[in-house]
Amino acid sequence: MVKNLLPETLEDALTIYFGQPELVPYSGGTDIMVGSSCEDKNFLFINRIPELKQIRLDNEFIRFGSACTFTEVIENDLTPTILKEACKKIAAPAIRNVGTIGGNIANGSAKADSALIFMVTNSLLRLQAHGSERILPLRDFYIGRSKTAIKQGELISEILMPKQNLDNYYYEKVGARKALSISRVSFAAILDVSDDIIRNCATAFGAVSDVILRPSEIDNMLIGKSIKEAKAIKSTYIATLDKAIVPRSGRVSIEFRKDVCMNLISDFLESNGI
Amino acid sequence: MIDIIKFNLNDKEISYTGSASARLLDFLRDEKKMTGTKCGCKEGECGACCVIIDGKTVNSCLVAMGSIHGASIITIEGYSKTERFETLSKAFESVSAIQCGFCMPGMLLSSECILDGNPKPSETIVREGLSGNLCRCTGYNSIVKAVLKASEKGGGLW
Ligand SMILES: Cc1cc2nc3c(=O)[nH]c(=O)nc-3n(C[C@H](O)[C@H](O)[C@H](O)COP(=O)(O)OP(=O)(O)OC[C@H]3O[C@@H](n4cnc5c(N)ncnc54)[C@H](O)[C@@H]3O)c2cc1C
Ligand code: FES
Ligand code: FES
Repeated sequence: MVKNLLPETLEDALTIYFGQPELVPYSGGTDIMVGSSCEDKNFLFINRIPELKQIRLDNEFIRFGSACTFTEVIENDLTPTILKEACKKIAAPAIRNVGTIGGNIANGSAKADSALIFMVTNSLLRLQAHGSERILPLRDFYIGRSKTAIKQGELISEILMPKQNLDNYYYEKVGARKALSISRVSFAAILDVSDDIIRNCATAFGAVSDVILRPSEIDNMLIGKSIKEAKAIKSTYIATLDKAIVPRSGRVSIEFRKDVCMNLISDFLESNGI
Repeated sequence: MIDIIKFNLNDKEISYTGSASARLLDFLRDEKKMTGTKCGCKEGECGACCVIIDGKTVNSCLVAMGSIHGASIITIEGYSKTERFETLSKAFESVSAIQCGFCMPGMLLSSECILDGNPKPSETIVREGLSGNLCRCTGYNSIVKAVLKASEKGGGLW
């Protein structure tokens, strides 16, 4: 019989995980319960740990507990609209009611829709293990196809989204059907302009490559420029992005993925007068 | 640490000592013989296995027993004893929203959650609320009509 592993606090969970690193963290179960092999696994249930279910604000960040479900994220007043919109487009209510943002990130998928928003907002992960913890930019967490930088015994406890102006955003999920659709290409972007100067420009591309792409060095070309100056270097910006985005083939062709990315970036710029 | 999984199922307290990684769907159908909860895909795609956990619809095929400690679960067997069920099922019958019936337990529980959250939902809200429930027979329009009708006739039930 499988021993039931139901920690009541985060500290309990980390102690158990330290002693039994072969356990599989279970948050919402909507990834790990698909397929028959799950019945032989020993889970560490973290879905009801109060510390992992909070959403709060501090001086620098909106702090999202990793075991918050998509529904909880959507219903929380602290959640920015861009994240609400992306979470609302995930699956259907019965999946959103249990699937969590921590699971969405930890599975390492480049198709993960909430992770795309955490990428474009330069969010950080708080990773905790028994007796230690570290903060890692989400961008450094993804190291390859379904490969992450998580260490043995570590859990994602929080996702820290830096406070920033997210009012002017662009988000598009391109799927094969309307309901229950998995992203074939997804794109999120933020443009913060004040006094005609671009204060922040950030883009992220999901489901295109092995990891979510976040070309911040290229986006930096536009930061500090006026809209007119941005227009003048638009073609260089687009050409640089074009080179940097290297799609992999999958259910859709490389060419399709590339075309969609380039159309979305053009639309994002044009909708902002660039 | 807890090693007995306790939860409430259709108003009865259950203490479960079996495997924590077993599926709630299998527990309901095989151990409890509550076969109203259907199995269509075991992948979270069809919604035939929907139950209500702590007031929200969930696909029981993706739920491991260990995750429901402390939860309250309603299956179609429990829901069918309520006045809300009577009203909903009459609305479904009146607009011929049922054909083979396989999707119905899931459809009814999803409909319950739609109306519980919003007693006078728009058509868009109903369609969104039912978007995880597949029906191979009806073409959905009559089901949407049924939920809207139940909302009209429900007078204060939700
Ligand atoms: C029908 C269906 C439709 C779907 N549609 C979408 C969609 O549109 N968009 C989308 O992005 N996803 C979709 N998914 C995938 C899935 O729902 C999401 O990825 C979800 O966020 C997974 O979260 P979870 O809590 O259920 O993860 P779980 O299944 O609990 O865990 C996933 C993985 O992460 C690990 N893990 C979980 N939490 C932690 C933690 N805190 N620390 C360390 N490791 C952890 C687990 O061990 C496991 O390996 C869909 C799934 C289904 C079944
Ligand atoms: S059997 Fe659970 S969603 Fe299909
Ligand atoms: S009535 Fe047959 S599947 Fe819906």
